[in-house]
Amino acid sequence: MNEKESQFDIFTTPFLYPKLFDDIEEKILSPLSYIRELETKWILEFDLPLVDKEDISITYDDGNIITVEAKLRETYCDLTMVPKCEFHYFKKKITLPGDIDEKKITSTFSNGRLMIYVPKVFRGHKVKIE
Amino acid sequence: MKQIGEMEHPGLLPTLFIENGEIFGPIRIYKKDNLYVIMSDLPFDPEMAFDFAESIIEFAKSNNIGKAIIVSGLESPNRDPNNPKAFGLVTHQKLEKLLYDNEIPKFLSGTIFGTDAAVLSAFRGSKIPALVLYCECHPFFPDPEASVHAITVLSQILKVKIDTTEIQKKLEHLRIQHRNLMQETIAALQEQAERVPPTGRMPKIYG
Repeated sequence: MNEKESQFDIFTTPFLYPKLFDDIEEKILSPLSYIRELETKWILEFDLPLVDKEDISITYDDGNIITVEAKLRETYCDLTMVPKCEFHYFKKKITLPGDIDEKKITSTFSNGRLMIYVPKVFRGHKVKIE
Repeated sequence: MKQIGEMEHPGLLPTLFIENGEIFGPIRIYKKDNLYVIMSDLPFDPEMAFDFAESIIEFAKSNNIGKAIIVSGLESPNRDPNNPKAFGLVTHQKLEKLLYDNEIPKFLSGTIFGTDAAVLSAFRGSKIPALVLYCECHPFFPDPEASVHAITVLSQILKVKIDTTEIQKKLEHLRIQHRNLMQETIAALQEQAERVPPTGRMPKIYG
């Protein structure tokens, strides 16, 4: 990637590495995700193991909220929890700051990793140099 | 391998793991023949890493251990999953031959920061040589495929057979299972970053 990345990284900017909140009652896992800011776009990456491409839904809502939902290929049992918990879905919402061009959002899915490319919208006017 | 002991540190959050009714500490020592394995299920910061490395060096001296091999990650978001790579770094010249014999490319330039740097510094100042194996991996998600590659390279160096078939079957489950450990590791690194000077960005190699 040739585009310059923002000076902010997940180590200094926790917003770029959203925390996990599993929903045991609804059997929903929170996927790991991280956000990269480039000059012209945001790149959101989600780790979605045990998921097939056709079972992923990505939606954009007003307020810059991107929601990723996915059905697991098979039930995941967390044996470390007492009592043991079963999960069937992944779900996570991410809110991005600033203006984004929602019509040009694209995504790819490979090896259980979902990438969402969200272009930014630049507003402003030219300043004349005298 | 048989578990022969555990390591503790007062700075670590008291943690125990229960498996089939048996209690395990987070840092455990295993042994088989002349091979010892020390593994931690908790991330710890560089200050604790100094103590940790010193203890391992003492342990190595008292058990006539000739060398240490440390497996670490090399942040590589654009790596080719079909062609994983591992690079080596040695603290004492006498281990260079191990890299050459096993065709492991040498890690030539970069910055090592944090826990890895603390552990390497301790070994550099001791008589116990260490080889660090940096395996390309995803920087922020659990990467069991990279772990399998690390195990494969390690088995080649140690000339022991390690069967990874069972791990290969569970790769996707392991990625879910290790989400929390990954998040805790990142949280530990975020705490570390708060303590570095404002000019210092986290480097591309971390530990």
